[in-house]
Amino acid sequence: MSVGSSPAPQAVGLALVLLGIGATATSLSIPLDQYGRWGARIFPLAGSLSLLLLGGIELLSARNISKEPTDTRHLPAIFALLALAIGYVWAIAHFGYLLSTGVAAPIAMWIFGVRHPVGLLIAALLCPALYHLIFFKLLGVFPPLGLWFDLLDVIGGY
Amino acid sequence: MEIFVGLATVLTDPILMGWVFAAAVVGMVVGAIPGLTASAAIAMLLPLTFYMEPLPALAFLYVIGKSGRYGGSIAAILFNTPGTAASAATQIDGYPLARQGKAGKAMKVATISSVIGDFVGEILLIVGVAWIAAIALKLGPPELFTVYFAAFIVIGSVIGKSVTRGLASAALGVLINMIGLDPISSTERFTFGSFDLTNGIGLVPLMIGIFVLGEVFAQIEERGKTAEMVPDGDDAARNGLTWAEYKPCMPHVIRSSFIGSFIGMLPGLGSAIAAFVAYGEGKRRAKNPEEWGKGALEGIAAPESANNAVSGPSMAPLLTLGIPGSTIGAILIGVFLIHGIQIGPTLFLTSRDLIYALFACGLIGIVMYGVIGYYGAAYVGRFITRIPTQVLYPIIFLTSFIAAYTSRGNLFDVYVMVAAGFLGWGMRKLDFNPAAFVISFVLAGGAEETFRQALLLSDNGVLIFVTRPIALLFLLLGFAALAVRVRSLNRQARANALRDA
Repeated sequence: MSVGSSPAPQAVGLALVLLGIGATATSLSIPLDQYGRWGARIFPLAGSLSLLLLGGIELLSARNISKEPTDTRHLPAIFALLALAIGYVWAIAHFGYLLSTGVAAPIAMWIFGVRHPVGLLIAALLCPALYHLIFFKLLGVFPPLGLWFDLLDVIGGY
Repeated sequence: MEIFVGLATVLTDPILMGWVFAAAVVGMVVGAIPGLTASAAIAMLLPLTFYMEPLPALAFLYVIGKSGRYGGSIAAILFNTPGTAASAATQIDGYPLARQGKAGKAMKVATISSVIGDFVGEILLIVGVAWIAAIALKLGPPELFTVYFAAFIVIGSVIGKSVTRGLASAALGVLINMIGLDPISSTERFTFGSFDLTNGIGLVPLMIGIFVLGEVFAQIEERGKTAEMVPDGDDAARNGLTWAEYKPCMPHVIRSSFIGSFIGMLPGLGSAIAAFVAYGEGKRRAKNPEEWGKGALEGIAAPESANNAVSGPSMAPLLTLGIPGSTIGAILIGVFLIHGIQIGPTLFLTSRDLIYALFACGLIGIVMYGVIGYYGAAYVGRFITRIPTQVLYPIIFLTSFIAAYTSRGNLFDVYVMVAAGFLGWGMRKLDFNPAAFVISFVLAGGAEETFRQALLLSDNGVLIFVTRPIALLFLLLGFAALAVRVRSLNRQARANALRDA
């Protein structure tokens, strides 16, 4: 049920059906309350069954739609940014905010097409300093400290 | 009368006025940057407002929403790239005018129409909201649940290309909200043994992920493209605007303001639908329909006034029922919650002064962005062409991480934000509906609570929803909206197939 064709109808339909089946099974494992009522189960189950039903409709309607090629040119850069995002959070947890941001800032700029070495160096130095100043100094947010190493320990706390 | 007290409060507080001014500028600039929306700016700036008093915090984000809607017209007219989805309707006539060397005139029409539309919407909100709240106070859990139900159906089915994917986005939003402890029995749901998940998924990281990081992922596909500005025109004769030129626009502005206000009150529909409905209706009733699409001033006035008229009334369901009418409304819920303000019908009993002061900030914000836009839209356009996007988006990328962390001081929230960002990008790519996902996430808690309360009140189980007339009316409204949408999509698909054949 769409105007023209939406991308990847079969894959999306299948993903929704699988997600719906998984969510339905998980919903049915939610314990009943002390009176044996379904209270806590009803909404998760309704959401899961809706996904299952909508996935089924999507799969059925996919049979009438011709397949369109998907543009995959930018996928490597998108997955690189996703990897950077996950790695950045992991690095903050283990090496603290300053060091992690000093590394993540130039990599993010590089992914977006900045190639000037001085620009990348400035980003590596300026970004952690500015964010630290605004959020942890001026706003008083407690910084995420590194589990293995934190530059704040070396430069004498924040 | 309360609005005059609110205006006095705001006008005598220079710091508050400063926040409103800053919001007018920030919203306009963000709205004018192609790819960035007011929702993204508000989501990103939301954690900063946790450290502010409730009124400046709400006013800052509320006015960003207003001026951001207007800012989209700057990009549509000057860059031929709509800054927001709604301003795509403005682009139809705005860009041809800019190509004729009348960009300044087009911007002035857009500014005046936006200001009039926004004022009409805001005044309707101020006049009508207490009245709606008084009615809402009389609704019981069965009626409230069916209002939520109708909202889910409308939000999921009406926006976007695909009804099934829109509804699936809404169902997914409900499921994500269920993660954590059941609020009544404290039973764990979808936690998979993870302690972090027992606290549930935070609204703020989810919003930042969907609206900010999701947009950064999407912008990778736009790398290397630069916004080129059409000369705004120094010729005073071509770019000045006289009353004789604007007078034919007035009927369109008035009609479109009411169209926008009505659409704004319906949860989830938003500015884009209002702008296109107003454009279509304006062209249908125009004396010069053949000029529309080639640079008619009325073709800018109609969508712009409807686009901004949505802003005020979209707050009505949020403030009176706790149902966000737009993504901006959904984000503002976060501010209310953080400051311990319970939204819903009792808001007008507990925080009446705050709400009317917020409306006053809205009115002042409209004047501010109107003045800045009338005289400075071209400068904003030139400023945007100088912002290097290859630097801007990495900075937004880094800011989204610290903003997500700041909301609760928790790195798990940052992981949630990353996952939501990737999900948001995927949803856009596959014609799902991120706005329906987020609004349903926000609505799910209230819907579940009222559903279970209604069942406790009922002697006949779920039949309570069909035996109470108002509840039945909202159920039927939801199904009717779905049926109308499916029918119109089928008709469009048939027309497309015939054209292709």
